[in-house]
Amino acid sequence: MKRGPRIGYVMRQSLQLVRSSPWLTAVSALTIALALTLVGLFAMVLFNASRLLHDLGQSLTLSVYVQEATPADQLANLERQVRAREGVKAVRTLTREQDRTRNRALLDKDLLEGLDEAALPGQPVLEVEIDADLASRGDVDELVAWTKTLRSVQAVEDVEFGAEKLRLVFAVVEIARTIGVVLSVVLLASAMFFVFSTIRLGVFSRRDEIEILSLVGATPGFVRLPFLVEGALQGLCGALVAMALLGLLHLELRGLVRDVHLLNVSWSLVPPGMLAWLLLGGPSVGLVASAMSVGRYLKV
Amino acid sequence: MIQLYHVHKRYPNGCDALTDVTLRVREGEFVFLTGPSGAGKSTLLRLLLVMERATDGQILIGGRNIHVLRDASVPYLRRNIGVVFQDFRLIPRRTVFDNVAIALEIMGLKRKEIERRVGQLLEGLRLIHRAGAYPGDLSGGEQQRVAIARALVNEPAILLADEPTGNLDPDLGHDIMNLLLDVNRRGTTVVVATHDHTLIERYGLRTLVLSRGALTEDRPRTGRALLNHNERAAPGNTAPTLGNPLAASLAPAVAPARTPDEEAPDPSPAPSATEPAEAP
Repeated sequence: MKRGPRIGYVMRQSLQLVRSSPWLTAVSALTIALALTLVGLFAMVLFNASRLLHDLGQSLTLSVYVQEATPADQLANLERQVRAREGVKAVRTLTREQDRTRNRALLDKDLLEGLDEAALPGQPVLEVEIDADLASRGDVDELVAWTKTLRSVQAVEDVEFGAEKLRLVFAVVEIARTIGVVLSVVLLASAMFFVFSTIRLGVFSRRDEIEILSLVGATPGFVRLPFLVEGALQGLCGALVAMALLGLLHLELRGLVRDVHLLNVSWSLVPPGMLAWLLLGGPSVGLVASAMSVGRYLKV
Repeated sequence: MIQLYHVHKRYPNGCDALTDVTLRVREGEFVFLTGPSGAGKSTLLRLLLVMERATDGQILIGGRNIHVLRDASVPYLRRNIGVVFQDFRLIPRRTVFDNVAIALEIMGLKRKEIERRVGQLLEGLRLIHRAGAYPGDLSGGEQQRVAIARALVNEPAILLADEPTGNLDPDLGHDIMNLLLDVNRRGTTVVVATHDHTLIERYGLRTLVLSRGALTEDRPRTGRALLNHNERAAPGNTAPTLGNPLAASLAPAVAPARTPDEEAPDPSPAPSATEPAEAP
């Protein structure tokens, strides 16, 4: 009957492999830890940027300034047209007087002293609240295209919408994402190279042992398994260190956000499932690297 | 048990290591394979272990044609062939116990079963007190006994030994030979490659002579083996054998029962604990 090796045997051999080159193992595990920490950090930044943008998209306001002489029915038409658009939460129409009153409220009392009321700006305006699901720069561009359509309406004088700022935020996020992906790939590749090299050295230093195992009837899987587990163990150690580092970082960031009251962040700063991904990713990186090394150098 | 038909082995550099070798080793036989260095002894053993494949010809082990054996099946064939080398080939970073146990670990046996079987075998070979030692702490004779224990622990039908006494002084070499003869007495087919003529003459067992890759002579057993071996078994000889009471309990495990067919050894006289088995 074909039976696989005992788990106890494989673990013992793997731990012996780790013990026989502790420094190399430590370097491999730390490289994985560094790579995973940075990947986790980028994931956190991007996750939180997306959440902020999403929240921003839910409270967007658009001001559609209408020409003063616009007849009421035309204004009502415009309002209907605006309301019809997907994502428009509310439309409030302000008359010239209401707009002036609003503008007056925005100014300091000192400034208003001795000022002719008629000098204050005032114009009929549609205040449009939008609940847009902003996931990319394309979503902003869509909104911009819509504002252009509104501008082309005869009664509309101007449309005020901070699109350029939003586009800039998205551009920054996209650059950060690209840098994050490239750096993550480079770091993970370096980590894999370290594991690959450590396993290769282990294989070389045990060539005699591998031959003996093969001669007494060990299957290739039996010979390879401890090396694969060694790689996975290095990855697991790296993942645990990365989780600890990210945990510390998370605590620091939360404190910082709370202290400066900069952002009213109600969600967790850590993306959901990130810890599980790290715990899965570390050993996977180690396993893949050791499998590559074993596949290339361990001939049974 | 082992059959070779017109086996030819040519290395990539054009060197013919074996040329048209045809031979047969019966089940339970003890055979010396001899010849000068480079005659092809080791190559023949390597072919039997499928460490290399024959260029031409057929090799049958236990009726199975290993020429057509898939690579994936090779480990399972090797589990039926114990192997002992001149340089012992023990794993230095593993204890004596673990070195022997490895042959059972690969079969996925439970730890308790491994401990039982290895313990019994080491006991029989008087190595149990060295179970926790590392190969580097052992004498040459002890190391070779550990290697033999490893080769026997999974009860192989065949034992191949490549110059098993080559690195030992004559007395220790003789102890190892006694051990191999004992193993053979219990039914295991034993093939010993050696260029030590005194060893061959001393035991007078069937001897296959290789020269420049060709089988030049097949000397039958002379009958001196029994005499020589009994000399060693005389009082005062302390060489470990599987014939001691503890090892006797291993007998069914170490060797399969022989069938009384034409390949069985001569049943008369009753074999002693140190008598080699042999085909007629």
